[in-house]
Amino acid sequence: MKRCAPLAAALVLALSALAAAPGPVSAQAKDTLTVALVSHAPTLDPHMHFERVGILVNINMFDSLLHRNTKLEFEPSLATSWKPLSDTQWEFKIRKGVRFHNGDVMTPADVKYSFDRVIDQTKKSPQYGNVRAIKEVKVIDADTVHLITDKPFPLLLERLVFFPIVPKKHIESVGDQAFGTSSPVGTGPWKFVEWKRDQVIRLEAFDQHWRGKPAFKNLNFRNVPEVATQVAEIKTGGVDIIRNVSADIVPELKTHPLAYISSTPILRVHYVGLDMRTAPFDKKAARQAANYAVDKPTVIQKLMAGLGTQVATTVQPPAFGFDAEIKPYPFDQKKAKELLAQAGFPNGVDITLHSASVADRPSFEAVSQMLTEVGIRTTPRMWDPGPAWNKFFQAEGKATHGWYGTWGNYSVFDADAVLHPLYHTEPGGWVGKWYARVEGLDKLIDEARSSVDQPKRKRLYAQIQQMIREEAPTIFLYTQYDTLGISKKVQYAARPDEWLWLYDAKPAAR
Amino acid sequence: MAIGTLAPPLDVPAGPARLAERSRIWRKFVRNPAAIAGALVLLAVLGAAIFAPYVAPHEPTRQSLIRRFTPPVWAEGGKATYLLGTDQVGRDILSRMIHGARVSLIVGIFAVLVSLLVGVTLGLLSGFLQGRVDTVIMTVVDVTLSFPQLLLALAFVAALGPSLLTIIIVLGLTGWERYTRVVRAEVLALREKDFVEAARAIGASPARTLLRHLLPNTFSSIIVMSTLQVAQAILQEAALSFLGVGTGSAYPTWGHMIALGRDFVSVAWWFPTFPGLAILLTVLAINLVGDRLRDALDPRVT
Amino acid sequence: MLTVLVRRVARLLVVLVGVSLVTFAILQASGDPVALMMPEAPESDRAVLRQAMGFNDPLPVQFARFVGNIARGDFGQSFFHREPALPLVLARLPTTVLLTLLAMAVSLAIALPIGIVSAIRRNSVFDHTATLVVFLGTSMPVFWTGIMLILLFAVQLRVLPVSGWETWAALVLPAATLATFSTPLLLRIVRSSMLEVINLDYVRTARAKGVSEWFVICRHALTNAALPLVTVAGLQFGLLLGGAVITETVFAVPGVGRLIVGAIRQLDFPIVQAGVFLLALIVVLVNFTVDMLYIYLNPQIRVR
Repeated sequence: MKRCAPLAAALVLALSALAAAPGPVSAQAKDTLTVALVSHAPTLDPHMHFERVGILVNINMFDSLLHRNTKLEFEPSLATSWKPLSDTQWEFKIRKGVRFHNGDVMTPADVKYSFDRVIDQTKKSPQYGNVRAIKEVKVIDADTVHLITDKPFPLLLERLVFFPIVPKKHIESVGDQAFGTSSPVGTGPWKFVEWKRDQVIRLEAFDQHWRGKPAFKNLNFRNVPEVATQVAEIKTGGVDIIRNVSADIVPELKTHPLAYISSTPILRVHYVGLDMRTAPFDKKAARQAANYAVDKPTVIQKLMAGLGTQVATTVQPPAFGFDAEIKPYPFDQKKAKELLAQAGFPNGVDITLHSASVADRPSFEAVSQMLTEVGIRTTPRMWDPGPAWNKFFQAEGKATHGWYGTWGNYSVFDADAVLHPLYHTEPGGWVGKWYARVEGLDKLIDEARSSVDQPKRKRLYAQIQQMIREEAPTIFLYTQYDTLGISKKVQYAARPDEWLWLYDAKPAAR
Repeated sequence: MAIGTLAPPLDVPAGPARLAERSRIWRKFVRNPAAIAGALVLLAVLGAAIFAPYVAPHEPTRQSLIRRFTPPVWAEGGKATYLLGTDQVGRDILSRMIHGARVSLIVGIFAVLVSLLVGVTLGLLSGFLQGRVDTVIMTVVDVTLSFPQLLLALAFVAALGPSLLTIIIVLGLTGWERYTRVVRAEVLALREKDFVEAARAIGASPARTLLRHLLPNTFSSIIVMSTLQVAQAILQEAALSFLGVGTGSAYPTWGHMIALGRDFVSVAWWFPTFPGLAILLTVLAINLVGDRLRDALDPRVT
Repeated sequence: MLTVLVRRVARLLVVLVGVSLVTFAILQASGDPVALMMPEAPESDRAVLRQAMGFNDPLPVQFARFVGNIARGDFGQSFFHREPALPLVLARLPTTVLLTLLAMAVSLAIALPIGIVSAIRRNSVFDHTATLVVFLGTSMPVFWTGIMLILLFAVQLRVLPVSGWETWAALVLPAATLATFSTPLLLRIVRSSMLEVINLDYVRTARAKGVSEWFVICRHALTNAALPLVTVAGLQFGLLLGGAVITETVFAVPGVGRLIVGAIRQLDFPIVQAGVFLLALIVVLVNFTVDMLYIYLNPQIRVR
């Protein structure tokens, strides 16, 4: 009998584990807001990561000098007013009486400390590139700081919308490590409670927040990596907000008894970057042919459920410098074939396009198909976003003959934030140094980004958009919408800057 | 003991005895209706795979944005031209599945061939030569078994980039150790047998002994194991597709179709379900056939 | 017995070194983690970081350094989390192990009764149906089974939570999903072990003596099944860990499989190495224990 006992015990254990399941799932507590994210940033320290999902959590815990409202206008946040003293020097008046979560008062010393921490290259902040132009931050008196840039830096205010201010005394006492993992302290509407890695980040309302208490007492960011699981969660009331709802799921959630959809246009622009170093896209006619070949309105209607806007170039409508006068390439297969023949390919040409944008695979395949129909016979190649892709595409610049990509400007509403990374060749933006070869473009981009004269910049950007529309270094497609699935218990609207500014979220009126 | 041991090796008889043996095996196999059903399913799948371009009603890459997410013909909104419906860019699911059979089977069969080649060779060497060679090979087997196989495959493909060849090789390299173990066990059992001694006595070289006499006796185990391994390979490829590392080709495998369609299961249930059913039926068929084959080849089971 | 033990332990260590070597080799081949950490930095900055992290040293030196560090329990700092890799992995390891053990328990809970009854009523409708149903579980990709179970039990019937790892209820679906993977083999073993014994003489004698049927089954038949079950359970453990990776992703379980998958994508060497090493260590230890148990329980098989 004794040999039987362990097996029997195992049985009992197994059965009791199953029997421990409680009854039907209980509804969410009314004062708790739960958001599903596909992943968490590796740290809660707002200066030490570069991930959108991290930014979304940080903005609810930390404040920056400026804030943007839903109309995308700058609003005072930790800075109550600001003015330029010269082309390279700005003055900011700092709000008084703001407390950190641990009770300390926020002072200009904290502001200086926050900037120094990122400007200091030994700290290895991934955000260094964003604020590289800031040479020095000077504390002038108890409520004034001066920011000094090495050159005129037109993107300064944009960058300050997400530049969280962190507590100097606290970090100096607990250290950077602890600050990012177990003890992040800021001035934002919620304060930190706990972080269960890969599971959930729990926040609690900060009663002494300078704007006033937020409407929800508890804010949880749950980590749910699978889209299907996220959709199941919102349908069963397990989470209140999910992001990036695919256009195909939208009708289902729109009519669901427990949820609704909120959608708004954002900066994220879709494009097909073309490799101008090799045939066929070294010829302008071929590049233009590609632009005529794609029926963008149909893709928007059919694949994106209308949640998209066609664009003439990669500069997005809400960005500073956008020129509405420039018209997008119309859909014209005949003209595309003519141009292709002009470029020297009367019998068509075979190309390969790459993409690591998994969520946009349908658009990628649709675009490839449309190109094939005019004679640009495209083999679409999907990659897993990871080390192999990064090496291939960005480190070695091998994505010939082109790639399907999207770009969100990191929420900077300025044309430079898309032009430089994509097209600047020397010393080079993100990928511009490999693929784009437009004569004279570098000079114009450099000129526009080193002036703070906004009208002048606008003229330059108009010129640049003319140039790239004509030269077609990319196939210009469309910008997308940010679509959120929200539980009917919560009142919140999607923002054009892709932020989840949950201070604005309120329990729905019953 | 039931696991891992397959039929004790048949001293392969010659001539008419062999024929009688074969027909006995056949009869045992045929007696089971489940196995017959399974075999028919497999024939259908093979047929689809081989004759795909002739059988498929549509071009599998042909898109039609107007026809996207068409339900199967019997559901409301379905069209007769798209029997099983269409996917998110309007491609016919049935045609993609038929071509997918080809890719799925190619991946499955070639991966198993790789496993087989590596595994059987190492097993033969290990069992025959024994000593240090044996120890080294068995240690390598242990290392491979201890390694979380899926992660190994993922790491390889993530490193080398997606391609059909990479997937085949990677899957092949994560399944060979079973062959080695089994073949080694059989060789060890056979070494001492009379006919091996006899071969050695008449001066047959070790290689000849290995290939001519020992190898054929492992065939039945290898066959059974291979059929089951093909099923495993198909499922593993599905797992890799789910984790985002597919073959990267324009024609998706069934597993890849499920992975692609899983996000749409609530709006277009047919998209992932039919490939899922295809895998289910094929793997089930393979398991049934393989099981019965094992019983048929085992002289102890009537 | 002692020499066997010593030999096995030596084998264990060699296997672990082999595992580290393989991990090290793959990751070396896959790319430049510095490019991933600083995608927009100029090459000069990256070169500095590369030098500082020791990537320019010859490979054998890097590997030797790695092995030496492991012996001291130091797997380095995760590139992305900027914390020591080992604690990050250890924090999640229990979750994965718990999930795997639960899945094994569920498997056994299903395989034992069904296997016994199938053997007793051999070739009956029950037997064939049970075999078929259980085989179904192993014929579907694990992630698909998981999604189907979510749709059925969580969304349709609303009796279980969709995902997460917070309550006892949340453990059920992931464990059940993973269990579909291993149940068929265990079922087959229980059934065939039972069949081997059930009609043997000494069992018939016991029956004839008037001993109750259950006693007979428990004492004799299950004893026969125990040995192969234990062996296979050990082997299955390794496979289940692989399936756990997928289950963790579908059900948002905070386990080590998910962590490693993410780390592979980001070329976060220290985490991949620490995670893979620890998983291999567990598998090796489990197999070692099973091996020792087997030898202990079966004195005939004290292998050369």
